Amino acid sequence: MHSIDVELCEPVPAEVPVGADFVVKLKVSCPEGCDLGALPVSVTGPDQQPVTIAPTPGEADACEIALTAPRQVGEHAWSIAFAPHESEGARHEGCALPIRLRTRPHATSLAIWAVPSPVVMGERFRINIGAKSSAACGLEGKAIEVLDRAGAVVARGRLGSTPWPGTSALFWTELDFAAPEQEGLAWWSVRFAATDLETPHEGTSSRFSIAVVPRPEHRLTVEVLEKDSKAPIADAQIRLGAYRAATDPSGHAEVAMPKGTYDLTVWKVGYDAPGRTVDIHGDTAIKVEAVVVPPENPDAYWMM
Amino acid sequence: MDKKQSRNASAPVSRRAFLSKGAAGVSAAALAGVGEAHAQVKWDLSADVVVIGAGVSGLAAAITARDAGASVISVEENFDIGGRGMLSGGRVHLGGGHALQQKFGIKDSADQVFKDWVRHDSMVARYSDRDLVRVFADENVASFNFLIDNGVEFIEKPIGPEAASTVPRTFVTVEWQNKDEVYAPGGGRNGSGLVRRLEQSARRKGVQILLRHEMKSIIREQAGKVVGIAVASPGGNLNIEAKRGVIIATGGHTGNVNFRRTFDPRLTEEYQQACMPYAYQGAKGELAAMDLGASLWATANQTSESGAAITKTRHIGCRWGYSSLVFVPESKLFHLAKATGLAVSDWQNMIFVDQNGQRFWNEVDGSYRFFAAAMAYRGGTKLNGGGPIWAIFDADAAAREKWDPKPPHVDPDGYFYSADTLAELAPKIKNPHQKQPISGAVLEETVNRYNSFVASGTDSDFKKPTPMYKIEKPPFYAAWATPILHDTLTGLRSSTRGEVIDTRGAIIAGLYCAGESQGGFAQHGLARCVTFGRVAGRNAAKGTA
Repeated sequence: MHSIDVELCEPVPAEVPVGADFVVKLKVSCPEGCDLGALPVSVTGPDQQPVTIAPTPGEADACEIALTAPRQVGEHAWSIAFAPHESEGARHEGCALPIRLRTRPHATSLAIWAVPSPVVMGERFRINIGAKSSAACGLEGKAIEVLDRAGAVVARGRLGSTPWPGTSALFWTELDFAAPEQEGLAWWSVRFAATDLETPHEGTSSRFSIAVVPRPEHRLTVEVLEKDSKAPIADAQIRLGAYRAATDPSGHAEVAMPKGTYDLTVWKVGYDAPGRTVDIHGDTAIKVEAVVVPPENPDAYWMM
Repeated sequence: MDKKQSRNASAPVSRRAFLSKGAAGVSAAALAGVGEAHAQVKWDLSADVVVIGAGVSGLAAAITARDAGASVISVEENFDIGGRGMLSGGRVHLGGGHALQQKFGIKDSADQVFKDWVRHDSMVARYSDRDLVRVFADENVASFNFLIDNGVEFIEKPIGPEAASTVPRTFVTVEWQNKDEVYAPGGGRNGSGLVRRLEQSARRKGVQILLRHEMKSIIREQAGKVVGIAVASPGGNLNIEAKRGVIIATGGHTGNVNFRRTFDPRLTEEYQQACMPYAYQGAKGELAAMDLGASLWATANQTSESGAAITKTRHIGCRWGYSSLVFVPESKLFHLAKATGLAVSDWQNMIFVDQNGQRFWNEVDGSYRFFAAAMAYRGGTKLNGGGPIWAIFDADAAAREKWDPKPPHVDPDGYFYSADTLAELAPKIKNPHQKQPISGAVLEETVNRYNSFVASGTDSDFKKPTPMYKIEKPPFYAAWATPILHDTLTGLRSSTRGEVIDTRGAIIAGLYCAGESQGGFAQHGLARCVTFGRVAGRNAAKGTA
């Protein structure tokens, strides 16, 4: 009677996500050098039930067995058994190899976008929130919450049925809620518990911020022109601290803002506009003349 | 200075004894150790002058030596000529009052060129060897005329003043008309017009150009004159005799990690070399000459923190995203380049994160302060170099830049990633130089914090001037944006005649250098390559005693 040596060609992962497929690579040999031929192999799963397998021959007495992890989180064990076998005139003993691993829930992650800023104190606003399963599971209808800094839920919703365009499985919804009555940078967190899913998922959270500003009193109109031609410059970005706007095709942008002194920045690639300070005491209109900056020739890479 | 330098060749050494170092791969029978008798070296080919490298300086040297009556063999390791000149923008910075300058009424002189390029207040001029600058200045008009005489055409539009120059001196060559012979067509690779014209002229004048011939070592009489080179080629190993001189025109060193770290130990392997995958800057000429005792020179130029020794990538999401150099899908090298990269027009559209997923500097800055921050120590076991830099941006940024972030524009095999969320994006980032996964939580927090700066209008961490756009709209992207190395600004020490000088200050007889392999003059671009190529070619043709 010959024995059979069974060894793993490479370690089995200690942990895989629930429901994940994994491969066990084995090397099976007879110490006496017998060719074991078609060695009968069977697998018993974590539920003690036989598992249907289709072993793939590998290199030199090796084979690969594809298995699937259970959909339950926890420790799981398989037994890969080789039955007694007659080969090259010799009887070979049966043997078994235990396989153990843990399963973990699928991860989830969030995206938060279309976040307006600034928002006037106390006013309601809307944001988009999307959640994603690392296994691209459908998350439609699942609950999502927005919490303020104190941990109070300020908005609740359920994810829609269609992934956000351009993503593989980012299920999303739109929520609206009110800004606080306090000026400054406000933070919220978003919580996705990932409960009630067929496959276990771990919940997640993320955060986002908005500049909360006082109610505007006046209107600042900024007109951006090209200095030499006086042609209007469209799509120039206007920034005054937390306040922001972009010029329209006529080169105009309007910003509603309270009294105060602000540093104005005008930004557009290909132009250079000087920064300036703007005092807002009432409705104000200013002109900004931007100078065309010739496109940088990247080959003219000189620096003094 | 040169008159004081001794000439080893004049010493009473035996011309029958040879020294060849670093001759791996060379015909063993021919180079069987030090001190073999002259008769035992089998020369497979012979010429008066042998030029190593057929780039800008090598072609200029070969033509000039040929014009002086020497027979010339040019060996080039690449499958085609041109070196980095093939991919250059073709900006030739020659002055002195040449014909095109005169045509545009630009007053200039050799003296003015010299004064400009030894300016103490210019970082690109301060550290140069003024003996060499004097030669450069005096040869400017002749170099311009040389190019014209050899068929090079210029766009008649002066540019400048640039760098240390006080008058306009830059004129751009006309791009080579056959797109199949320009390896990065469609992107203003006007240098192709310079090297192709010089190649044409060189061949017409009888220069024998041997492609895919890689110099393995320089053959020298025992402690004496350089008399040839050993070469590896697809057809076998060759020894090529140089009766009058060998000219090193092998290009620079910025692709050679070990060599470049001589000057800046931070420049570890993650920093790629511009002009790859066409022209490798392997320091081969420098190393072969240093095997014979050659010295480096004016090494401060390499680390003067000016010019284009290192630059932002400009094209992100591909391995070699230098400046305006793009390998389009029609390029014969596209299968190696793998992607065109995404051309950045506005650095406000992204943040840069390090190998840990954290911002490290103001993204719109392109100064050496940015590069210092990119190469900073970030904890962990990697002590030198800063590791990969990744540009992180969102769908809105891609729309603003009008990018289509898919192949062939990006290389998903290690240089570009996308995901539905930032937390999923971070661990996807895998690259040979990314030694550990980026934490999704860290990247998410990096972006959340940056977005708060956009909301408030102030970057409290790195003073990015008015951070403009949040990174929030899915999908999200990570693109390779690690700074890339370009200019070689130091190299071998040479006399004003281009003769290589050893560490004791003595000329190595029969050995010359030019171009990026030559140290002492840190001007960016083609002009110094043409000029010192001519100088070396002219003097090599005369031969050394």
